[in-house]
Amino acid sequence: MSKVYIAGAAMIPMGKHRHASYSGLAVPAVLNALKSAGIAPKDVQAVVCGHAFGGMLTGQRIVKEVGIGSIPVFNVDNACSGGASALHLAFKDIEAGKHDIVLAIGVDKLTQFGGGTLPLVAEDPEVKQGIVMPAVYAMRARRYLHERDATLEDLAQVSVKARRHGARNPYAQFRGEVTVDEVLQSRPICDPLTLMQCCPTGDGAAAVIMVSEAGRRKLGTPAVRVAASVVHSGQVTAGFRDMLNPEISSDSARDAYEAAGFGPQDLDVVELHDAFTIAELVYYEALGLCPRGESAGFLRAGKSTYGGQVVVNPSGGLLSKGHPVGASGVAQAVEVYWHLTGQAGERQVPGAKRALSHVTGGGIAGLDHGACTVHLYEAA
Amino acid sequence: MQQAAQATGGAAYADDALPIEDLKEEQGLPFEVKDGMVYLRGSRSRSSGSMAFPEREVCLETGARDMEPFLFGPNATLYSFSTVHVSSSRPVPYTLGYVDFPNGVRVLAHVVAEPSQPLRCDQPVQLRAEGDRWFVVPTQS
Repeated sequence: MSKVYIAGAAMIPMGKHRHASYSGLAVPAVLNALKSAGIAPKDVQAVVCGHAFGGMLTGQRIVKEVGIGSIPVFNVDNACSGGASALHLAFKDIEAGKHDIVLAIGVDKLTQFGGGTLPLVAEDPEVKQGIVMPAVYAMRARRYLHERDATLEDLAQVSVKARRHGARNPYAQFRGEVTVDEVLQSRPICDPLTLMQCCPTGDGAAAVIMVSEAGRRKLGTPAVRVAASVVHSGQVTAGFRDMLNPEISSDSARDAYEAAGFGPQDLDVVELHDAFTIAELVYYEALGLCPRGESAGFLRAGKSTYGGQVVVNPSGGLLSKGHPVGASGVAQAVEVYWHLTGQAGERQVPGAKRALSHVTGGGIAGLDHGACTVHLYEAA
Repeated sequence: MQQAAQATGGAAYADDALPIEDLKEEQGLPFEVKDGMVYLRGSRSRSSGSMAFPEREVCLETGARDMEPFLFGPNATLYSFSTVHVSSSRPVPYTLGYVDFPNGVRVLAHVVAEPSQPLRCDQPVQLRAEGDRWFVVPTQS
């Protein structure tokens, strides 16, 4: 069993890139990731490409553009977890000793749909009833406000923090700070969630070079060890589900901490799935960053920002950096790589040694979510 | 662009981090007519010399972003061909063929020929254009 490292990483600035194809989005990220690892396209031994809406052979359409071929290329869809699922598959192959250098790509282009909510699979019974992703999160928010000592302002503060972080990230789609009032007064999307509490429609791509112990020695570039890589699917129920206790995320985190040998108290950086404001609060608890029931207080006390217990979403998160769904898991890994190698510029989390990334997604009837991925990282 | 970085990394990015706008409306026609002859606009890598059609930004052999425009044609060889009678992309029938140029570039082209002139593999063809449209015709049988 080899240890697994990230030895190069890059992404494109997220935004509405209507004139770029899937390969047009991903090729600059791939080339810059290769460059940061100090390797050529021909050095790559396998490719895994995560996406949700790229269509057939997305990975091959990308890597052939830089001359990568005659090696295994796999495409993985796991909704929002597609990119992180690509990391997982690359991780497993390197850990098993199958390859020394694997390119993992995450990419998606949401402007192809023209705007509005993410298209879901029409054959699903809840989709037939009109479910959309913001409605799922809105019902979580409603229940959170009902059960907890929390207010709409607490929800809005998640966006305020995300935008404050994103303002210092050149790769973020939104780089302007906002106030609680602006967030609450933006137009309603699904009550109680307003526009600024929802991640934007956008396009993006990210790439990382994952290597074995031998690959790392050969490259000699700054590296981050991937200490755990966990993927779970949702467990169906036709009955009661506690919408504030997403077992898919808490179980994934539990397994990841166990595999890594360190826990939530050891983390300096967390990139978690804040697709909507409520998500961040719920996931503080699911990932064990704070005790159950204490997430609003955790945010209010500044424990999830610079100077606090752990910096959650220094990139600006999905709310500010953007969420081209299949790209996000890899983009999180890129952000973590930059922090753990001291390359994050003015948003650098000082002395960051350990990090977690978390993406969960997919709206399917009977599940909390379809897929969840948790990765843990350690400075190497 | 908001950043004017020297190099792309975690702190900032340079132009090489921006997406390639390959879906932008065509800037011009993919061919040029000179002295009555039709030439295709391709790209050639400054470092590796690799050539490709249509125009592109990245070298297909090395990933280098140093492609320069160049013209090639008008003569080529018909490698293979088919007349399409059922298509989801355009009205039928039409004839497509892969044509090989002496510089090694292969291009998928529309082939226009008289029904009385059956096509054959390895037949010499030449580029032609009508308005915005380019295609090849057999030059001898």
